[in-house]
Amino acid sequence: MSKYALLLAVAAMAQDARQIVEESQKRHRSNSQRYEGVLQVFNPNGKNSEKRWQFSRVGNYGESKALLRFIAPPEVKGVALLIVNHTDRASDQWMWLPELQRDRRVALQDRSTRFFGTDFSYEDLEERDVEQSDFKMLGEETAEGQACWKIESTPRKTRASQYGRVVMWIRKDIYFPVRYEMYVKDQVVRRLHYRKIEKTQGVWSALELNMEDLRRKGRTVLKTEKLQYNVPVKEEMFTLQALRRGE
Amino acid sequence: MKLIKLISWQYARKHKLRSLLTMAGIVLGVAVFVGMHTANQSVMAAFIKTVNRIAGATQLQVTAGEAGFDEEVLERVQAAPGVRVAVPVIEAVVNLNLRSQGNILILAVDLTGDRSLRDYTLEEGEDTVIEDPLVFIAQPDSLMVTREFASANQLAINSKITLDAMDGPRTFTVRGIMQSSGLTSAFGGNLAIMDVYAAQKVFGRGRKFDRIDLAVNKGEPVAAVRARLGQMLGPGFEVDPPSARGKQFEALSSVYGAMANLTSMFALFIGMFIIYNSFAIAVTQRRSEIGILRALGASRGQIQTLFLAESALLGLAGAAAGVLFGLLIARGISASLGEFLGEIYGVAQRADEIASDPKLLLGALAMGVVTSLIAAWIPARGAAQVDPVRALQKGRYQILSAGENRVRRITAFALLGVVVFCLSFTQNRIAFYGGYFLTVIAGLLLVPTVAAWLSRALRPLMKTLAPVEGTLAADSLIQSPRRTSGAVSALALSISLVIALGGMARASYDAINEWMRVAFNPDMFLTATQNITDRSFRFPVSFADAVREAPGVRVVQLVRNGRLRYNGGPVMFVAVEIAKLERESFLPAVEGDSSTMYKRAAAGEGFILSDNFAQLYNVHLGNPLTLNTPNGPLTLPVVGVVRDYSDQKGTVLMDRAVFIKNWNDDSINIVRLYLQRGVTVEATRQWLERQLAGKTRFFIFTNRDLKAYVTKITDQWFGLTYIQLFVAVLVAVLGIINTLTVSITDRRRELGVLQAVGALRHQVRRTIWLEAIAIGVVGLLIGFLFGVVALYYTIEMSARDFAGLRLEYTYPWGMSAALWPVILGAALLAALAPAEQAVRGSLVESLEYE
Repeated sequence: MSKYALLLAVAAMAQDARQIVEESQKRHRSNSQRYEGVLQVFNPNGKNSEKRWQFSRVGNYGESKALLRFIAPPEVKGVALLIVNHTDRASDQWMWLPELQRDRRVALQDRSTRFFGTDFSYEDLEERDVEQSDFKMLGEETAEGQACWKIESTPRKTRASQYGRVVMWIRKDIYFPVRYEMYVKDQVVRRLHYRKIEKTQGVWSALELNMEDLRRKGRTVLKTEKLQYNVPVKEEMFTLQALRRGE
Repeated sequence: MKLIKLISWQYARKHKLRSLLTMAGIVLGVAVFVGMHTANQSVMAAFIKTVNRIAGATQLQVTAGEAGFDEEVLERVQAAPGVRVAVPVIEAVVNLNLRSQGNILILAVDLTGDRSLRDYTLEEGEDTVIEDPLVFIAQPDSLMVTREFASANQLAINSKITLDAMDGPRTFTVRGIMQSSGLTSAFGGNLAIMDVYAAQKVFGRGRKFDRIDLAVNKGEPVAAVRARLGQMLGPGFEVDPPSARGKQFEALSSVYGAMANLTSMFALFIGMFIIYNSFAIAVTQRRSEIGILRALGASRGQIQTLFLAESALLGLAGAAAGVLFGLLIARGISASLGEFLGEIYGVAQRADEIASDPKLLLGALAMGVVTSLIAAWIPARGAAQVDPVRALQKGRYQILSAGENRVRRITAFALLGVVVFCLSFTQNRIAFYGGYFLTVIAGLLLVPTVAAWLSRALRPLMKTLAPVEGTLAADSLIQSPRRTSGAVSALALSISLVIALGGMARASYDAINEWMRVAFNPDMFLTATQNITDRSFRFPVSFADAVREAPGVRVVQLVRNGRLRYNGGPVMFVAVEIAKLERESFLPAVEGDSSTMYKRAAAGEGFILSDNFAQLYNVHLGNPLTLNTPNGPLTLPVVGVVRDYSDQKGTVLMDRAVFIKNWNDDSINIVRLYLQRGVTVEATRQWLERQLAGKTRFFIFTNRDLKAYVTKITDQWFGLTYIQLFVAVLVAVLGIINTLTVSITDRRRELGVLQAVGALRHQVRRTIWLEAIAIGVVGLLIGFLFGVVALYYTIEMSARDFAGLRLEYTYPWGMSAALWPVILGAALLAALAPAEQAVRGSLVESLEYE
């Protein structure tokens, strides 16, 4: 094979990888979403804790806005996180603390830290638009018992990320991601499994997310309940003013 | 070495007491030097240790003086290129009213990012804090404390602590106990971590931070990021490594360091005279010994070297003992010094360990040896010039020849001429200090002459008081001018120090009292902290509205003060409603027009400076003064200078509106209340407590309370002066004891003869007592004269180089009067042991002496 043919093949594969990810995002797109999440944190020392939140989201993938408000236990009730995703840069995030009656911005530098003691980082809550990363097809593999494409995404310079690269497995049958592996240098630091994948209102959804922090050896399970798509959600709910009002 | 072992060692063994007394001056001087400096260094080291431990991996800190800065600055710093992590910090020392140790350093941080800089390793409550910071930050009553603090106060997870927050007493919950580590040992372990946003509310900071701690990206030069941030933020901000905070603290306490130096130097200087005196006497006593050595072939150089080696060894032994003694007293001094500096400068620090700097200790040893060598230089040279033939003849050794006296007098007057010349150029530092030094030398050269005159003048009086003993005592002084002048010089120098420091203290008290009378005339003061120098808590401006509602309040003045950096040094700013200040507490101008100064400042057209600021920074009426503010440099002319003693480093008074506009800060430290006629302070106090207690943290000082508080701080400061006075008097007493011990030994034969011809023991005793009292009287009189000059120079020094205070020259007559019984009593006490030694010895041995 001539070197031009090889380059064309590589380009085609790259194109494929991007198209697959784009297709995946397109297929599972919804204008709005709402659910109640149960967050279980399993610490390496065997202790675990549980919290519940309400999650609302509006807008297209990559440029959506999301609001997450804790409803239990009582000591964190009312604490909220507003995420405003941008297609061209990292998201903006604000936290609301009802006891202090004030909001605080989650700085970009802090996105790599753990989200409220879970095994997710703040960055993991963001939506990653395809334009912010380069993609590479690594091949095909079986993951979570399903035939998948194995694709590597590398953040573009416009986007600050704690991860050097992310490898994802996307089910070939339904274009739905089932696993992510996040790398810092050459080491996998987090692994996210999508489980209980079901169709809700015609949209494929994972009702359980299982995030492992391989450095800390901890695990967080997010169970989704009362999931609804395309519900009437007002854009005004996703503003700092609304966050402050506790809406 | 052989000569030292054969001759010097034997002599020292024979005169143990005298050797010890001679050494005592050095011991005391070195001990004071080591003690005070080690204590200062220990407090400084503890401060730096706390700063470093709290700093963790922090490479740079962004501050804007004490005023703090808006939250938006954090976002700018976080977004700056090269910055890896930047976290906001509020730091405050508060009293928690707990059983064991009341004061605790609250380090308030944003835990989200702060763990990149500091290591919080918890041993308890891990679930609630480290594993779940959500609870910690969601609940503003959360505190993390150190294991040491928890143990000392029997605290466990979920224990409650009551803290006086700005909105009244609030219960806090211990949600984490940190394992012992570098961080937890900061501030002696009395450390608690709090969420920075909760702290804003607790300490009344509004939406401001005290500081930003940051670390730079890997491989990024710290200096480059520092420069970039400095440029980006502008001159109102300081971007420094954490170590710079130590320098600020050092700058604040520099006046104390200078005082410590002055005390120890003076003690050593006086000690030098004791050594000089002892060696001068030793040389005369050992003339025959020197003569024999010279006759046996010892060269002049060898004799001089022998005496200098003796003095060096004596100095070394004295300095070594002084170092040990100094280290012993350092612990005691440092314990109170931390609190003291906290009271004066509002920077609390605890020193739990003594930081002994090897350089300081070596320096102290060298100082002792050098002082001893300088003191012994003239006697050693005199020993070397002893003629062997004359030395072996018995005779009167203590006489100063008329020629020698004349040379001294001529030199002294020549020096005084130079001093007068120097006085014309006092603006020049070399001329000023040179003049002071030459005055001291000239005075010392004149001591033998003046002491002899005074002794002769005293003779008739002493003869009247006790015909035999008085005459003998006076003659002893007159006939031994060398011996007498040594003791008198030491005593006079001590007295002059007492007069100078005492006079300065008196003048300072008078000035401060006068300032307080005018400036501290409100009926009541409301503060957010327990003392006026601590600025950890601030009132929101709404507090003033609540206070204004109090019945019978005529005027409410709002004050915001704090420190900012001017020309690299920490100065005080006071933002106040100047129009009200003019009406209620008018301070006349030292520079400027009193009638327009306040109006211009009230209109925001200029600054009013304290006199000491003007002196220390050489900024005077009409000069432009530039202060760096978070909004950029603010340049306004100096519209007046007033006597204000708010701070030793100088104070800038500005209108409150100017401060709010340029510092974006409308918070308040102090509210000054003037009541209507007929309204009592007690009634207003009760109303305020009824209305505001439980809602807002505040402390009420009545006019009398606050004046008492300022007087207490002034007393604490001058407590240092009293230590100096004590050392001065102690060294002087040592000098008298030494002189009399030498005198008794020297006159053993004479005293023996007296007893042999029928003098009674009590007569000999009284002779020696009277001699001591006469030394005291002569020393006092000459000391008072020296004091006149020393007070002038001390006041000038204070104005130009220490605190910039222009004080009135007022001779402390009361103190001079009080010195009479003290010194004469001390002289009499000093004479008791030598007098007993004189009468208890064997008569035969005494007659065989020499």
